[in-house]
Amino acid sequence: MFEKKKITSFDQNCSLEIFIKNCDKYKELENDSRSVENLITMGSCYSYVAASFKERSLSINIKKFNRILFFDKEKKIITVEAGIKIFELLNFTLKHNLWIPQIPGHPFISIGGAVASNVHGKSCAFYGTIKNSIENIKIFHKYHGWLNLNSEENNNIFDLTIGGLGLTGTIISVTFKLQELNSLNFLTTVKSVKSISQTIDFLESSDDENLIYSWNVIDLASDVNSFGKGLIFENKISQKNNLEFYKKIECTSKKIIFPINLWNNLTIKCFNYLFYNYHKYIKKNLYKDSFSNVVFPFYNKEIYFSLFGHKGFIESQILISKEKIHDFLEELKKNIDYYQPSITLFSLKKMSGEQKYLRFEDNKICLTFNIVKNKKNTHFLNELYKLYIKYNVIPSIIKDSNLDKETFNKCYKEADIFREELKKFDPKRIYRSELSDRLNI
Amino acid sequence: MKYLILGATSGLGRELAYSLAKKKNNLVIISRDERDLKAIKEDLEIQYKIPVQYFELNLSSFEKIQDFFNANPNIINEIDGILMPVGMTIKKDEITNNLEDTNAIIQANLGSIIYFVSKFIPIFIKKNKGTIVGFGSISGMLGRERNVVYASAKRALESFFESLAISTFSTKINTQFYVVGYLDTNLSYGEKTLLPKSSAKKLANIVYNNFNKNYKKIYYPYWWLYINILFKIIPFYFLKIIYKLTNKKINEK
Repeated sequence: MFEKKKITSFDQNCSLEIFIKNCDKYKELENDSRSVENLITMGSCYSYVAASFKERSLSINIKKFNRILFFDKEKKIITVEAGIKIFELLNFTLKHNLWIPQIPGHPFISIGGAVASNVHGKSCAFYGTIKNSIENIKIFHKYHGWLNLNSEENNNIFDLTIGGLGLTGTIISVTFKLQELNSLNFLTTVKSVKSISQTIDFLESSDDENLIYSWNVIDLASDVNSFGKGLIFENKISQKNNLEFYKKIECTSKKIIFPINLWNNLTIKCFNYLFYNYHKYIKKNLYKDSFSNVVFPFYNKEIYFSLFGHKGFIESQILISKEKIHDFLEELKKNIDYYQPSITLFSLKKMSGEQKYLRFEDNKICLTFNIVKNKKNTHFLNELYKLYIKYNVIPSIIKDSNLDKETFNKCYKEADIFREELKKFDPKRIYRSELSDRLNI
Repeated sequence: MKYLILGATSGLGRELAYSLAKKKNNLVIISRDERDLKAIKEDLEIQYKIPVQYFELNLSSFEKIQDFFNANPNIINEIDGILMPVGMTIKKDEITNNLEDTNAIIQANLGSIIYFVSKFIPIFIKKNKGTIVGFGSISGMLGRERNVVYASAKRALESFFESLAISTFSTKINTQFYVVGYLDTNLSYGEKTLLPKSSAKKLANIVYNNFNKNYKKIYYPYWWLYINILFKIIPFYFLKIIYKLTNKKINEK
């Protein structure tokens, strides 16, 4: 029996009535998958966009498939079911001083969702995306049944599945190669920068092994030279071999959304002023930081998203080459001056990897910004899409629910190759979501 | 301690398995699909470092249960308690059921439990200790249109556990019976219920905390006790009217 439910994407931009089923047995998953024409898999439903549901279509929720199936401490290998959440995995592996370094910003994201989105995290300059930690994936497909995917077995489907938005079938389990983590404490250094250009210079010259990201103020009144003044946070794993036990993250978070949007140019300005000056003048510029604070910057700070109200927000995350970023920023500044958008967050970090199919990865600079969703800001965003095409930018498709098919096709050079390969594997295109339909994947 | 759990791969059974594993009890888990059993075994062994044995067994088949005991005669001596959160329903369990379905439902929800108890109780009596936990359902409180045989089996099970409690009254055997309302498990998934669904995890903890106590028959959640009392004192004619009204309300929902 399926339950009819209204589900809203994390960014509040897509709200649809869907059929949902919480499976907890393998047989049930097989039977339910075979009983419908189209379906998609749902993990924690923490994607910004509607990646795990589609109107009046079945979403199979795999949250009960959250078990650890294999663990070898010596070989640093773990196999987990795809419904396990990031924090549940870490609660276990960190006891053994092991982890996967490619951790997305929220602990409640499921492993299946993380693989399907090829997530990165703060360590992406050095460790790249989660793809680099995956050894094996097991999927169930309505017609193909159970498939083992790795670099030797079904390699082409393995490649399509990582960052494949769950369109190759239900990811059931994933085997990871774990990395050692000597300490659960970080030393955070905060440095103020006068502009985005200075931020880029710092990122270019920094040690990639540390987790480095910036927080920049988009002050609408600023000139080109001081555009994007802000702070750079550098988290370095403390070399002191500390035995302090990792404080387990418990599943307590509840989504509470304010009835109206409280972010506007005035409140953003006030917040930025307080945040910048607090870090510059009050808080030490070198301090000890906990694992969860560093790795999950939004955990227990969900109020930031709640303040956008029911209309929500849009996050645009892009990858741009070092050669083009300065020209791009110049044009971005012009658009900001013209549209005066309400940008609540603007951040940069370095990313490494090789772009393929729909995967958001490359040896480029990663730029992220959040804007309040309204008509004016949507116009601003649509203008930016033209810049994305002009500067060969890769926009993240799992972050931006406003991204259209045309921009996607032009920015993702391998979009058609992905479509063809997927069609070869699944001619009936069984697994579909609102996101895949919107981008015509 | 070593406990045997029937139907341990989903819903309340799964919660009981985790609740007992957390307290470092060894487990024998039984269910229909080996894949689910293997997944739970691995997880429990890795996370809680306890030995877990599993057996694939279809409880709706009497012959298969017999085969299980013939193949594993020693298991009876090793177990300190049995927990039987078994609940098998079919899509259309109505008054017009065919014999095959009727037998399967009765066997899974009643016959298998009686058979398991009959196998373990002589050893428990001999040892003068042991735990036996059964789970009924509020569906057995009153006659109904849907899940007809399931409800009948659950009502019969309640009677069986009362008899079991009386039979073991003078021993130190711990017998518990729970009349369970709607739980947040797949058995009630997608069902529109008039009263809220309760946590299976909480119930699993209650069950554990009641180990080694005198016979208990517990309604979970507690308000079902009062509803049951009402059902017992109101004449059947009025109950029929209430049933029609509530059923209409559910259908409208």
